[in-house]
Amino acid sequence: MEEYIVSLDNLKKIADELLNNHCRVIGTTSENKFKELNYAEELVLNPGAVPTSSSFKEFFFPKTEPLFFYKQNHSNVDLFNPIQDKSKIVIIGAKPCDAASLPIISKVFNWDYKDDLFNSRYDNSLIIGMSCHYSDEFCFCNDLGSSPENMKGSDVFLKPLADNYFKVVSVTPKGAEFINEYQKYFEKDLGKNKSLERKEENPKHFDYDKVKTWLDNNFENKFWDTAGEMCLGCAQCAFVCPTCHCFDIVDEQNGSCAGRRAKNWDACQFSLFTKHASGHNPRDNQEKRYRQRISHKFKYYMDKFDEVLCTGCGRCSRGCPVSLDILQIVEEINSLSGNSNSIQ
Amino acid sequence: MNELKQICKEALTEKKARFIIAYREDKNKKTKPFIARTPEDAEQIIFNHQAVNNLAVYFPRFKNSGEGKIGIVVKSCDLKAVTALIQENQIKRDDLFIIGVNCSGVVRDTTMEFSNDNTQIKCKYCQAKTPPYYDELAEESKEFEMPDDDQAELMARIEKMSSDERLEFWSAEFEKCIKCYACRQVCPMCYCEKCIVEKSEPQWIDTSSTARGNFSWNIIRAFHMAGRCIGCHECERACPMDIPLTLLTRKMGMVASSEFGYRHGMSLTEPALIGTYSTSDKEDFIK
Amino acid sequence: MEEKFEPKIVAFVCNWCTYTGADLAGTSRLKQEANARLIRVPCTGRIDPVFIIKAFENGADGVLISGCHPGDCHYNAGNFHARRRWILFKNLLDFIGIDSSRLHFSWVSASEGKKWVDIVDDVIDTVRAKGPFKQYKKMNKEIEIPVDVEEGVSAK
Ligand code: SF4
Ligand code: SF4
Ligand code: SF4
Ligand code: SF4
Ligand code: SF4
Repeated sequence: MEEYIVSLDNLKKIADELLNNHCRVIGTTSENKFKELNYAEELVLNPGAVPTSSSFKEFFFPKTEPLFFYKQNHSNVDLFNPIQDKSKIVIIGAKPCDAASLPIISKVFNWDYKDDLFNSRYDNSLIIGMSCHYSDEFCFCNDLGSSPENMKGSDVFLKPLADNYFKVVSVTPKGAEFINEYQKYFEKDLGKNKSLERKEENPKHFDYDKVKTWLDNNFENKFWDTAGEMCLGCAQCAFVCPTCHCFDIVDEQNGSCAGRRAKNWDACQFSLFTKHASGHNPRDNQEKRYRQRISHKFKYYMDKFDEVLCTGCGRCSRGCPVSLDILQIVEEINSLSGNSNSIQ
Repeated sequence: MNELKQICKEALTEKKARFIIAYREDKNKKTKPFIARTPEDAEQIIFNHQAVNNLAVYFPRFKNSGEGKIGIVVKSCDLKAVTALIQENQIKRDDLFIIGVNCSGVVRDTTMEFSNDNTQIKCKYCQAKTPPYYDELAEESKEFEMPDDDQAELMARIEKMSSDERLEFWSAEFEKCIKCYACRQVCPMCYCEKCIVEKSEPQWIDTSSTARGNFSWNIIRAFHMAGRCIGCHECERACPMDIPLTLLTRKMGMVASSEFGYRHGMSLTEPALIGTYSTSDKEDFIK
Repeated sequence: MEEKFEPKIVAFVCNWCTYTGADLAGTSRLKQEANARLIRVPCTGRIDPVFIIKAFENGADGVLISGCHPGDCHYNAGNFHARRRWILFKNLLDFIGIDSSRLHFSWVSASEGKKWVDIVDDVIDTVRAKGPFKQYKKMNKEIEIPVDVEEGVSAK
């Protein structure tokens, strides 16, 4: 198979064509945020940038979306289904820790109930990933079997070369089709452009298997009494996380006889999350809620779906108002598991 | 430096406090809140320009949690939250062991070093680098350069706008909100056991993060902070969507002071603004 | 031809003074415009600002709040507490861009039927001149039944 490279300018031209074809093009901007682009010029690709403060999950799983609308009609209630926006979604410049989140959460959205809202967007999307040249004290993709070059979740993958060029890797059939369709913008790789390498390697922090084993055996451990005790329950972490996927369903009134049922983001760090109608709350303090967050990410999801519910992007830690660092928590678990596997 | 540790250690050894809410540094040199329960824990206690958190936010958690005083390390600005909570009958002075620290300014952006450009605006207006009252006092206070008040410029710009332009400005800001309620959770003055957004019979404020739900939430939160906000700027720091939240609460603080000559968290005995009234309150806007 | 804009006004009034005053206006057969919908509450002190927001959410173009004169409150101090809140809330709304042409306050006693009529007419005129509250209505868009929906199903 031929190898291709593409220039940043041509990538923008592709974005332009996509926009003209009524695709939703989502890319990183000069503010280092994912944004639905209005013009291709807004696109800024910087492999050395810190992961965006919020992930791009809102384009697949919006913060709020209607399931149906209702209206009273004499003694009946009329229900209306909203029309889905069927436009193709193209993400440009996803870091490996962003792209990998989609196949992970796709599992929960297709487990017993198939979530059409998520699927219709995900199935109709194209993810252009890009290798990452950044790492800080919060990053830990390496520890979860990924890496700054990992292509999981990407359909097409870009590797930065000198002079604003990228080496193009086709990862999935969808990606190959895309490269074919926009052939005219891609050039043959003659090996002239030097490839830009990452300066430093991401260090290894923990051994996931050890962490998992410890979590399997230590639901009741005094570690949990202090691990999350400073957590404020603000759920900033869950809302910016690419893999957190919990939602709440609410009815919302508009006037007296009409309204909508909506699906909204929710998070296990809220005290209301597990509150029963009776008033009983099985997770009645923040320490238990924090244990749930860590366990869901590193144990339950693995047990059920064979994936870690975390890509190691470090967003949750970067934004946490009390600097609770998920990596340090997992590292602590890792060191605990060195000396005990027993239930305390 | 050792002095603060020493004071805390002594307090814990002599059981002057059953635990101390304080700051420590983690292995990445990030300053973060923690609870020191033993004299050994106190070894970790530090205070520096990165000690931004308002630790008074943790009080509600310890309401009726047992005998003995709660120790807390406070900067002068955080002490206002403590005072305000006492004024609002949330906590008693006698239940607290207050370790005041002389503060030399804290950072705005915790990922960067302390500098003139990276100092919180509140530090410019801080009238007392030494907390007005305490049980013990630690740290040297150092002079620092005053930051620019870019918020005042923005405030002036908004005040010059027409009301339609203002509505447009705020609608665009609130639109960004994702309803994570981080602003509420970090706020020492938001201690309601059940927040108004959680009241669902009827649902006063939509929980959805729609334009409508965001607008109501942000207005009502700002109103609940009117004359109560003590200006710690934690809400704005915590907001993941960078909404200029303290612009609203600061404005309301200015109104409280111009209309009623009141500033919250400044006196242990003065009654709180809301909850009392004066027969001479202004009424030129009432027909 | 464009239809003339008729504003929707929601008036929160206290049971003891303004509601009775409005009643008096009715029994005295005083004429007033019909744009105001009255919501009777026990006392102005009961009016949480969230009510005002709810009124705007539900399509009000203007809100009027009215109760007993200072000193006349049935519960002694309800209106004093309310007045203090209004000062703060009014300033907040003003800063956010909802100015005093949409939010009105008055004291109307049980005997002031005429004053009530004058105030209501005045409020209606002001809001009519200001026009429909388009900006707030726009915020409802996500909750309204969209124009292009899939055909409905009917449920009993
Ligand atoms: S962001 Fe931090 S404080 Fe907020 S819920 Fe998450 S861990 Fe807790
Ligand atoms: S838990 Fe934190 S590090 Fe893991 S994917 Fe979510 S935001 Fe990223
Ligand atoms: S509203 Fe914001 S600035 Fe005011 S007290 Fe609360 S967190 Fe601090
Ligand atoms: S927003 Fe209002 S109701 Fe909610 S916690 Fe804060 S003060 Fe209480
Ligand atoms: S912190 Fe910001 S995004 Fe979160 S609820 Fe508050 S205003 Fe909205």
